[in-house]
Amino acid sequence: MSAPLLRALRVARRYRDVVALAPTDLELNPGETVALVGPNGAGKSTLLAILAGALDPSEGTVETNARVGWVPQRPAHYAKLSPRENLELFAQLEGARDARGRATRMLERFALPTDARPSGELSVGNRQRLNVAIALLGEPRVLLLDEPTAALDPGQRRRVWEVADALRADGGAVCFATQNLEEIEHANRTIVLQDGQVATLTVDEVFG
Amino acid sequence: MSAVLLLLRKDLRVLRRSPLLLGALVAYPIVIALLVGLVAGYASAKPRVAFVDDDNLPQVIAVGGHRFHIQTVIDDVAKQVTLVRLSDAEAARELADGKVVATITVPPGFLGDLETTVVSPHLVLETGTGGLAPRVTQQVQALVYQLNLELQTGYIDANLAFVKLLLNGGRGTFVGKHFDVLGLERTAQELRALPPSKRRDAIANFVRQAREGLAQTGTALRATANPITLQQAKSHGRTWLLSAQVQSYGIAVTVTFLALLLAAGATAAERDEGTIGRLRRGLVSLGQLVWSKVALAAVVGVVLGAAIAVVFGIVVDVGGVTGGEPWSRLPLLLLGVLLAAGAVGAAGTLLGALAREARTASLLAVLLVLPVVFLGLVPRAALPVAYWVSLFLPFAHAVRLFGAALYDTSPWHRVGIEALWLAGIGAVSWTLARLGARTLSA
Repeated sequence: MSAPLLRALRVARRYRDVVALAPTDLELNPGETVALVGPNGAGKSTLLAILAGALDPSEGTVETNARVGWVPQRPAHYAKLSPRENLELFAQLEGARDARGRATRMLERFALPTDARPSGELSVGNRQRLNVAIALLGEPRVLLLDEPTAALDPGQRRRVWEVADALRADGGAVCFATQNLEEIEHANRTIVLQDGQVATLTVDEVFG
Repeated sequence: MSAVLLLLRKDLRVLRRSPLLLGALVAYPIVIALLVGLVAGYASAKPRVAFVDDDNLPQVIAVGGHRFHIQTVIDDVAKQVTLVRLSDAEAARELADGKVVATITVPPGFLGDLETTVVSPHLVLETGTGGLAPRVTQQVQALVYQLNLELQTGYIDANLAFVKLLLNGGRGTFVGKHFDVLGLERTAQELRALPPSKRRDAIANFVRQAREGLAQTGTALRATANPITLQQAKSHGRTWLLSAQVQSYGIAVTVTFLALLLAAGATAAERDEGTIGRLRRGLVSLGQLVWSKVALAAVVGVVLGAAIAVVFGIVVDVGGVTGGEPWSRLPLLLLGVLLAAGAVGAAGTLLGALAREARTASLLAVLLVLPVVFLGLVPRAALPVAYWVSLFLPFAHAVRLFGAALYDTSPWHRVGIEALWLAGIGAVSWTLARLGARTLSA
C-alpha cells in the first residue's frame, strides 16, 4: 500500500475551555475520497481547516508532502476584486508562472463571469464556484472541501463532483464535509463526527 | 513579485474601489491643508481696522516742535493692521457686518491734548465679537505702542524745551499762557552781582547743582521713555516657524489617523473576508502579512503627506504667506512620513489583529487616535506623565521630525533622533503585530 498523501496525528483544537475538536487521527490515501459527516458544531470544519493548514491545532501534527487545496465553507475571496483578479492573485501567491493563463482556464472551467464585476456582487452560486476554483489553482493532490455544494444548483454540484472524482481517479485524495447524506455516495470512506470527536455511531444514528 | 507586494497591490486596488473611503482619503488632506493654510494665512494677514477721525486731524501736526504727517506716521507704524478711513456710521456698519474687525476712533479734543504734551490723549477701540477680538486688541495695542514711539521724540523735545527754558531763561508758553523765566544761567549771573554772603553762596551752590543735574535731563528722559528695548535675535529657522509647525501638525495628524485606520481595517478585513485562512496555508507568512499592511500604511501615508505638503505649498504661495514653502524640503519630509506612517501602520496592524473584525478595528482606531494625538500635544511642563507616555507613541516624534525637516536650517540631528525613535516604536509594534497576527485564523 502506498504512503498516505496526508496524515493527521492526534490533532485537536480548543478555544479556552471549549473543545472544538478532540484529538483525532486521520489518513488520506491516494485514490481515496473521505466524507466527514455530522451535525452542526461536530468539528468537521475545524478538522478540515487544520488539515488545510489554515488553523493551528492546539495539539497534534499534520504531515503531508502533497499540495493541498482547500475549499472553506464560507467563500473566501476579496469582494472588491473581480473573479479574474482573485484567481490571478491567488495563482501568483501559489507561485504559478502563468498566473493569467491559469486564471483564464479556471474561469472557463467553472463558467465564471469574465467581466470586471466585483466578486462581492456575484450570485451565491458563482461565489461558491469561485471558492472552488481558487482551491484548485495550486493543482493540488489533496482536495479538502467544506460543504462545497451547499449553495450550488444540481448542474454546478455535478461539476464539482466531476472535479473531485477526476482528482481521485488521478491518484489524489479528497476529503469533504457534508450534511447532505446523498453525497456520501461519492466517498469510499465515511467518518462520523459528533461533539468534536469521531463517533462510533452510524450516519443514520447520528442524524436519526 | 513577492507576497508582500502582491498583497500591497491588492490592498491598494481594494482601496481604489471603495469610492467613499477613497473620496474621504482625497478630501481629507485637502481639507487639512486648506485649514492649515488658512491658519497660516490668518497668522500673517493684516486684519482690516476702521479709522474714524472725529477730531478732524490736519494732514500735519506739530508736537514739541516736531512736525508729523499723520498718514505717513500711520502707514509707518501700521505693520499689524490695515487701517481704513471711515466715518462713524460707516465704521459702525462695517463692524457689524464683519467687514472690519475693529474701529479706532480719534475723539474730539485729541489733537489739543496731544499738542499740550502734558496730557495723554486717548483713542477709542471697539472690537467686533468673535474669536478675532483678542488678537485685534493686541494688534491695536502694538499700533498704539508704535505711535507712541514715533511721538515720544516730540514729547521729549517739548519737555526738554522747558528744561532749556529753566536753564537758559527766556519767554515760554504753558497750557496757552505766556510767561518769562529768568533761568539758572542768568540767576547765577545775578547772584555774582550780589555782595558775598553765606546765604548768596548757598543759593549759588544750589543753582550750580541744578544746572548740572538738568544738563543730564535729555539722556534721562530718553532712557525713561525706553527703559527696555527689544532686539530680536536672528532666527535659526529656514522658514517661518508657525507655518512649519502647522504643516507638521497637519501632516502628522493625517498620517497618524489614516495609517492606523487603514492598517487596522485592512488586517481585520482579511479575517472578515475569510481570506486569512487561504493566506496562512503557506502562501503568506505572518511576517509578510504584517509587512504588507505596514507597506499599505506607508504608501498611502506618503501619498497623502505629499498631497498635503503640495496643497499647503500652493496655498502658501498663492496666499503670499511669508515663509513656510515646503518645496526644497519635500524629499526629507516624505522620508519622515514614510517612516512615521510605517510605524503607525505596524501599530494599526496589531490593532487589526487583536480586533479581528474590520468594524471593531476601525472604531478602535478612531477612538485611539485622539488620545494619541492629544498626548503628543501636551507640553512637558503642563503634564509630565503625558509627555513621558507620548515618548513611546509615534505622533509626537512624527511632529518633531516633520518640523525639523521643514524648519531647521540643519535638521539632521533632530531628524536622526526622531527617526530612531520612530524606527524603534515601529520595530516593537511590528513584533507585537507579528505575534498578534497568530490569532488571525480561519
